[in-house]
Amino acid sequence: MNQSESSSSADPINPCPICLGLVKQEAYLDRCFHRFCYNCISQWATFVATQHSHSQSTLKCPICKSDNSSIIYGCDGDSFQRHYINHDLGNRFSLSEAHKYRLRCYYSESGAICKKFDVLQYWKRQRYLQPNKWLQSWLRREFQVLTQEEDVDIIVHHIHGLVESFMRRKEKERSKSTPEQNQQEFKTAVSDAARPFFTERTERFVNEIELFLASGLNIEAYDKVYLECLGLNAPDATSKGAEVHEQTQQVLYFHLFDEDSDNGD
Amino acid sequence: MQASRARLFKEYKEVQREKVVDSDIQLVCDDSNIFKWTALIKGPTETPYEGGVFQLAFAVPEQYPLQPPQVRFLTKIFHPNVHFKTGEICLDILKNAWSPAWTLQSVCRAIIALMAHPEPDSPLNCDSGNLLRSGDIRGYESMARMYTRLAAMPKKG
Repeated sequence: MNQSESSSSADPINPCPICLGLVKQEAYLDRCFHRFCYNCISQWATFVATQHSHSQSTLKCPICKSDNSSIIYGCDGDSFQRHYINHDLGNRFSLSEAHKYRLRCYYSESGAICKKFDVLQYWKRQRYLQPNKWLQSWLRREFQVLTQEEDVDIIVHHIHGLVESFMRRKEKERSKSTPEQNQQEFKTAVSDAARPFFTERTERFVNEIELFLASGLNIEAYDKVYLECLGLNAPDATSKGAEVHEQTQQVLYFHLFDEDSDNGD
Repeated sequence: MQASRARLFKEYKEVQREKVVDSDIQLVCDDSNIFKWTALIKGPTETPYEGGVFQLAFAVPEQYPLQPPQVRFLTKIFHPNVHFKTGEICLDILKNAWSPAWTLQSVCRAIIALMAHPEPDSPLNCDSGNLLRSGDIRGYESMARMYTRLAAMPKKG
């Protein structure tokens, strides 16, 4: 932990209300802006979380009891870091490296990756007639990323079942319709089914599922190609712990920020 | 453990400084154990506890200030929210409404406030609670005053 003791934040008149000492690594609650040491207030947040069986998304300020949803720290004038309260809980679903790279995909341009896999050939050569045994696992990961929930069984079964029955129907019909018609039909069916869950992310999701199917690759190989396209390294299995956690926060923060700016435009 | 010790030491220094300011509360730390404290508090004016001096015992947990201190009356007191035999206190801030921003000093102030404003709906002393709930203010006050005189005032020569 880098516990920077900035001397500028040392204020003998207003000590940290928890340790009663000088404030170390200034941190503020996001609603009431009461000030604490970062360690003190996060310890309290963790302690409160262990006292409740249900996950809490807010923390009552020890001073004014107002509900706060994050701890703001590391302010240097230009930027700050943010620690969301519900992320403290051990029982909350945490995103793995692979999840995080998928999340990042949804915020990057899809142009480069589209050139890697020839989607039209997939429809022309009727490769969809071969069942894709990796699709279910791929869908599970994708839905966990998009919903930020661990238990996505229902959506997985729903979409997977839809894709399978679509392909089976096409198998019976054989080549009655053109590849383009098949492609359009597939996209419409999937996006209708997915829209209630993913709203404005639906279109991108439909493109992603089509890309995965067209790639004909298993998840590992597909990830490798995709990461190369994004200019990222493959998820490093050795990096664990605090560092991973830190990155999660950043990606998720980015996620919220992005939505905000969308609304503002 | 280290954090609680450091924090209690800060409180100790603060208490030394505040002694003059708040004469209603006298907090004393045990000579050999910083986790054991006693306090003498004055019964609030215009209550049946006026004129009495009540002794409290604090047992501070190692997780303090994440966990609240355990406080009980050593002096016998007739109050709906204090157990008549054990001196145990029913006060939300000593249980689920605890916040680490409370100090031993401010807990004393909260207890003084509780003495002035009993909560008969969560009684630890049913006799006292029933008197108040049935509207027998005079009965409650005379009982409380009697025990204050018996237990919380210096014996008359």
